[in-house]
Amino acid sequence: MNPALRISNNWMAFFAIAALFLTARLFGAEHTDSHPVANAVEHAGHGHDHGSAAESVSQFSLKQIAHSYLTAYMFTLSLCVGCLFLSLAHHLFDAGWSASIRRVTDTISSLLFPWMTFLVFPIIGFAWHGDLYGWFYTDPASDHSLDVKKVLFNRETFSVLLPGVIALLGLVGGTLRKWSVAQDKDGAAHWTSKSRKLAAGGIFLFAFGTTLVCFFLMKSLQHQFFSTMYGVYYFAGSVWVTLITLYILTMYLSQPGKPLEKVYFKRQQQDLAVLFFAFTVFYAYIHFSQYFLIWNAALPEETFWYVLREVGSWKWVGMTIIFGHFFVPFLLLLNQDIKRNMAVMVPVAVWAWLMHYLDMTYNVMPVLHPAGLKLTFWDPLLWIAMVSILGALFRRKYQTAAPYPLRDPRLNEAVTHHEVPTSAARSASASTH
Amino acid sequence: MASSSASQPSRHPTSKGVVGSQSTPTPTLKVANAPRELEREPLVLNNRSIGWITNAIAGVCENPMPMWWWPAFILSFGGMMTMFSLIAYLVSTGVGVWGLNQPAAWAWDITNFVFWIGIGHAGTLISAVLFLLRQKWRTSVNRAAEAMTIFAVACAGIFPVFHTGRVWFALLPGYLIPFPNANEIWPQFRSPLLWDVFAVSTYGTVSLLFWYVGLIPDLATLRDRAKGFMRRFFYGLFSLGWTGSNRHWSNYEKAYLLLAGLSTPLVLSVHSIVSFDFAVSVVPGWHTTIFPPYFVAGAIFSGFGMVLTLLIPLRSLFKLHDIITLRHVELMCKVLLATGSIVGYAYGMEFFIAWYGGSPYELYAFKNRAFGPYWWSYWAMISCNVISPHFFWFKKLRVSVVFVWIVSIFVNIGMWFERFVIIVTSLHRDYLPSSWGYFTPTWVDVMTFAGSFGLFMTLFLLFIRFLPVIAISEVKGVTPQADPHHPLGGAKEHH
Repeated sequence: MNPALRISNNWMAFFAIAALFLTARLFGAEHTDSHPVANAVEHAGHGHDHGSAAESVSQFSLKQIAHSYLTAYMFTLSLCVGCLFLSLAHHLFDAGWSASIRRVTDTISSLLFPWMTFLVFPIIGFAWHGDLYGWFYTDPASDHSLDVKKVLFNRETFSVLLPGVIALLGLVGGTLRKWSVAQDKDGAAHWTSKSRKLAAGGIFLFAFGTTLVCFFLMKSLQHQFFSTMYGVYYFAGSVWVTLITLYILTMYLSQPGKPLEKVYFKRQQQDLAVLFFAFTVFYAYIHFSQYFLIWNAALPEETFWYVLREVGSWKWVGMTIIFGHFFVPFLLLLNQDIKRNMAVMVPVAVWAWLMHYLDMTYNVMPVLHPAGLKLTFWDPLLWIAMVSILGALFRRKYQTAAPYPLRDPRLNEAVTHHEVPTSAARSASASTH
Repeated sequence: MASSSASQPSRHPTSKGVVGSQSTPTPTLKVANAPRELEREPLVLNNRSIGWITNAIAGVCENPMPMWWWPAFILSFGGMMTMFSLIAYLVSTGVGVWGLNQPAAWAWDITNFVFWIGIGHAGTLISAVLFLLRQKWRTSVNRAAEAMTIFAVACAGIFPVFHTGRVWFALLPGYLIPFPNANEIWPQFRSPLLWDVFAVSTYGTVSLLFWYVGLIPDLATLRDRAKGFMRRFFYGLFSLGWTGSNRHWSNYEKAYLLLAGLSTPLVLSVHSIVSFDFAVSVVPGWHTTIFPPYFVAGAIFSGFGMVLTLLIPLRSLFKLHDIITLRHVELMCKVLLATGSIVGYAYGMEFFIAWYGGSPYELYAFKNRAFGPYWWSYWAMISCNVISPHFFWFKKLRVSVVFVWIVSIFVNIGMWFERFVIIVTSLHRDYLPSSWGYFTPTWVDVMTFAGSFGLFMTLFLLFIRFLPVIAISEVKGVTPQADPHHPLGGAKEHH
């Protein structure tokens, strides 16, 4: 057996035991609806009439479905905005190595419009029905934190701006894809130039749009909470999960007989894994910075958000995120060989999906279940359904055009990317002269 | 244009005939080169030979310095001596010679500290992060940027040490450096200022080590070319017996890679900890969670600004246009644009959350920044940091070296103002209106800061005089000749 694989198997066994332990803690925790800290948090920070979290929520209630739906939506939205970022970055940095997988990112990001835009309407519906956001039916005059931002945080603005921004992001992704497909036919350079110009404006729309969307959808579940880092936090997690998803997807698509077979190689696979590793660290850095600065200042108007997430089994969810979102992939991917070892990377991908879903749950669900994590059958059902819908839409759209940008000016670099001389060859060359 | 004799899976009709037969796979696809207007320029222009590269770079420190070097050195040296004189004046008289006072007890000195530390960021970013990301263009600029990093860290260290006034206490064991002592006096471990001591000293040490390791092959080149005894002795001493053997290169590459891996977290950690100096305080305008990445982006922004400020004249004065090409300038402009945009996002997000959060103190602090007594510094910061990099969306401006140089100066100015805005505007009006004040620097403040540029430039000019300003061996590695697949692979003379 490959020694690297043997080591990684030991690691996997260790993490599996750790995961079992954490799972036992997560689900073994006492679920009490009258938890004193939870109630204190509820009254101090949450303070709205609708959806009082302290009351027992039936798993068949609309509130439960709404929150499960929102969690699943945020997960799938992560994949779409993550792909949009990678497409924009490709054009802005004039990247070469990623040209052969850009059709995949273009296609996934183009699903933001109309599909992800369409899928956000149930969330707006739940909000209007009073199942999600407390501030929807709170009188701003009775709530200072809402009153100051009522220009933005009102039902009408939310209902128009939210789908509008997601649609705009989707239009940027869709247009990039459309121009790339057009370039397949004539190979003209102007399509690349136009794409770069669109990416220049698109990156600003992406930055501010993604921030606004995650503020509206997730942060406003507790509208009193504020953190300048929150948009970056969602961005970091989204790109993280997108990279590992792309890793698996492009590996599948480059198998013998699959469409990327001749244009996607180990070196690009390694690059994706390296980026995944970088974002593992970046996410941890971002989340640590946010937590540390809020903990250190100990201001009640900020700490209530984390205090709620330290109640009951939420504390263990937080611990799982610390270890699972950071330490597990970090320690595993330190080894260069593992980055190309599918026996490890496939479980890492599954793990990363679980961790990102747990991260979204950690953001959404404590509002509904302040006493601790409480999974219902809606959670996996809606998650799988949403991802399946996205997967089916991707598959259908991906097959309507060439599997990679056939005449992209950087495709040549992508297909010869693996031929770059090794460091040993460079050393030998330099020492000769 | 893509071309292949093979067939395409039927479910991708538009790529028919492109991908290749599944039954007879070929190792790679033959794809046409990029259209002419999108072709990448080579990293070394005019197909220069490796011999020419050695001569051009080593010649800078081997030949007599040009005429401009001496007045530049004398001016810089004078500035440096002015700074040391003023520090002596400060130590002998007391910190009262500086303008900091309540409520702005941190002002000019910490602004200068953060400014110089920020400038010191580009070197390690170019050396470590861009190396790990296999960005080959770094090879023409990394050496000068690394040197700049070390000199900037030296300048930065002066301000926090001397702002204590009785500097001998600051340097004594127990105050800044934890050391068992009879009085049982220990530093405050919970203070980010102490973390700064560790972070900056670690950063300085690793940067110096990284710089030195990278220099070893080039020092050996200089040793082998040296004519005088002194040069041969010192270059020989510091090149550690380098012979260019396979084992030496192998060890060198491993050490360089490991140091790059070690340095990369430092790029993030140093300025994150500098940001904690402010962010851990519950002071409006300082306590904001985005500070760590925002400070890191700002540091990279200012570091690249200074790299451009130094390298644009350098390439002209030493005729290094074929090695530090317009492509390098353009790429650095893009880094400025990216980091400037991140900084702009952070400025916007700070303002937005000040409004969104509903804290009247926070909102006041930001309104006061933009429209209070220091409005001029805020708008100088916005103009230089948010507006000026956006000229670089246009290629014509990115390749205009004079324009780029002017903008890089604006970036330097803007980043100094950023630190001034953060520090002074948050402090000069605190919670009690009765204790509000207006900070004005004294002539000693101003001249000490100006003198720190003298120190920086003196060290940089000495670096030009004695060491290769560009990594000779690394540049050779990115020439077409170094690529065994290239038609010129192995060729030695192509002028």
